[in-house]
Amino acid sequence: MVPVEWYLLLAAGVFCVGLFGVLTRRDALYFLMSVELMMNAANVNFVAFALYYGDLTGQVFALFVIALAAAEVAVGIGIILVLYRNFGDIDVTVPAEMRW
Amino acid sequence: MFDVYVPAVVLLPFVSFLVALGAGPYLPKRGALSGIAATGGSLLLSLLLAVRVAGGEAYNETLYVWAAGEQFTLTFGALIDPLSALMLVIVSLVALLVHVFSLGYMNDEGEVGLPRYYAGLGLFTASMLGFVVADNLLMAFMFFELVGLCSYLLIGFHFREPGPPSAAKKAFLVTRFGDYFFLVGVVAVFATFGTAAFAGEGSFPALADAALNGSGEAVWTPGGLDAQTWFTVIGLLVLGGVVGKSAQFPLHTWLPDAMEGPTPVSALIHAATMVAAGVYLVARMYGFYALTPTTLAVIAFVGGFTALFAATMGVVKDELKQVLAYSTISQYGYMMLALGSGGYVAAVFHLTTHAFFKALLFLGAGSVIIAMHHNEDMWDMGGLKSKMPVTYYTFLAGSLALAGIFPFAGFWSKDEILFEALVHAPGEPLLFGAYLMGLLAVPVTAFYTFRMVFLTFHGEPRSDTARDPEPVRWNVKGPLSVLGTLAVVTGFINMVPVQKVLELEGIDLLHRWLDNHWGGIEGLSSHHYAELGPYSSTYLVGGEAGTVLVGAAVSLGLALTGLGIAWRLYDVPTPTEHTAALGGIKAVLYNNYYLDELQVWLAYRIEDVAGGADTVDQGIIDGVVNGVSSVSLAGGSRVRRIQTGLVSEYAAMLTLGLLALLVVLGLNGGWFL
Repeated sequence: MVPVEWYLLLAAGVFCVGLFGVLTRRDALYFLMSVELMMNAANVNFVAFALYYGDLTGQVFALFVIALAAAEVAVGIGIILVLYRNFGDIDVTVPAEMRW
Repeated sequence: MFDVYVPAVVLLPFVSFLVALGAGPYLPKRGALSGIAATGGSLLLSLLLAVRVAGGEAYNETLYVWAAGEQFTLTFGALIDPLSALMLVIVSLVALLVHVFSLGYMNDEGEVGLPRYYAGLGLFTASMLGFVVADNLLMAFMFFELVGLCSYLLIGFHFREPGPPSAAKKAFLVTRFGDYFFLVGVVAVFATFGTAAFAGEGSFPALADAALNGSGEAVWTPGGLDAQTWFTVIGLLVLGGVVGKSAQFPLHTWLPDAMEGPTPVSALIHAATMVAAGVYLVARMYGFYALTPTTLAVIAFVGGFTALFAATMGVVKDELKQVLAYSTISQYGYMMLALGSGGYVAAVFHLTTHAFFKALLFLGAGSVIIAMHHNEDMWDMGGLKSKMPVTYYTFLAGSLALAGIFPFAGFWSKDEILFEALVHAPGEPLLFGAYLMGLLAVPVTAFYTFRMVFLTFHGEPRSDTARDPEPVRWNVKGPLSVLGTLAVVTGFINMVPVQKVLELEGIDLLHRWLDNHWGGIEGLSSHHYAELGPYSSTYLVGGEAGTVLVGAAVSLGLALTGLGIAWRLYDVPTPTEHTAALGGIKAVLYNNYYLDELQVWLAYRIEDVAGGADTVDQGIIDGVVNGVSSVSLAGGSRVRRIQTGLVSEYAAMLTLGLLALLVVLGLNGGWFL
């Protein structure tokens, strides 16, 4: 059986990829994808610990997160559409009106 | 029935105020008739109340609770006992006569703004009546302030001229200065006793008496102060309001200036309302004052001093009303002297007689002023005796009463005051000093009074208007005749000296009246006050009767001396000013001992202090506040730069925050060790 540390390392790696995407990309669609990566990293953690402890709660939680991610994407795409309609672009650095 | 009569006495003049205010310009006499009807109604009801009190039906009820709390309950109520019934009659009678007189003085002279005038008179009368019936100190204070407000409105009636508004402001501010102390005193009474009722079991004089006897509960005092000392402080605080309203030294300066008001208003202010309010207040809560000998001594000394002090200023004045103004201050000084020396009945007696003869003198002066086309300078008068006999003889009766000549009203009351002060004076140096000053004021009073009479009515006319004065009508002569009669006969209600010398019974009606002989309220009788008071009587020569005779002879002799000097100097065809003989004193007297200047100087010094306080406030207090806020502002304007609006930077900050949190948790949890 694969030790749980391997799963955790995988999750941490995927999470860092997602975080890197959020911090460096300017395209809103990449944002969505990066957030998706981070969520799935969390899912991997849930499932890994569920396996480790022999408890199904973590897996149930992972299912919930998947459903939530679907909803989040719907909202996110909606925001991106509005962004495009108002600015003609989906570059997140263009709308900087709401600042000091 | 009482429940209807008592509020009606107060509300009738108030209704006349509303009528004059609302419908005055459309009424035939601009509100005078409704005022006469209302004050006449009040007079009738007051007489009815007096009759019922005489029948043993005194009244002490709470009529309206306007704030009910756990510790205090604030109420309006009415207290009708012999004292307030007597005062109600005086106030409503004088107010009625003043209203009638105003027909001649204001309507016939074609004054404008009459609805405002009659509205003021109505409110003034209503406030004073409300003050008289008040059954607790807070209600008394509220009506006390209303009286002050009305005096302001009426003194400043001719507001387009420069003098009256300024005099009105002065009257308002000077009396208000005293009222601050009164207000603090009211709060102190509430804090100490939890009630401000004047009469009954739980009234504050009764509680104070019980606390001092040790028979009742101990009362709260600030910082565990001795109860006697604390009561003295409360008494003196309330006395502040009295000194302001009753124009006692040093707050008397507003009263001579108040002569700027119309003459009937002066009569009302000086005889029955406003100035009388102060003395009445002391009489009302005499059960409290009698407990504190120090306060009594202060009252007596201030009174005696004011009596003499004001009388000396009256000697040199040139204007008719100014002389009367100083005589008022002086006479109220006598009343304070009486109250301070334990002569409760004597004070009320003088309050009564003075109300009548001073109203008479002011209305007489008003009549002269009409005749002289509003010239008040006595040096332009002279010889009016034959031209206006009704005014002359009534004015003469009032003057004889003021000077204290037997058997006019003022003689009896002033004599009783001096008698009370004399028999209580041995062993009380302050009281003895007050007595001497009171005695010394007698010849001065007689002198200035008759200087005024001789200059105005005797000799040769000294101006064209005096040669051909304007005639006055019934509405002037009527009130004068009523008051003239009263000035002659009022003294007979209390002929104590005659009773004591001839050992007759039953001619000291006022003594019996105020001693609950016919009915009254427990704890509000003159006997009770005498038992509470600190004084004992000492008779000098020949026992009581001998002392009475000697005292009366001395004061009458002094009065006649003053009158005689005035007669020698001024009852000549063409009198001249003899005041030059006074030398440098004349200027001092003429300028009222420079007290006005002193007060103005004090006001400017206070302004300097206030300026300093303002600098501290603006510079230091506001500086600290502004400094703190500018630090916040500057900090805020820097820190807000992190709000860039770029979503990536927010995400970066979130991440950094998470990392920082992890590091802190790690350090705390010891991961890195």
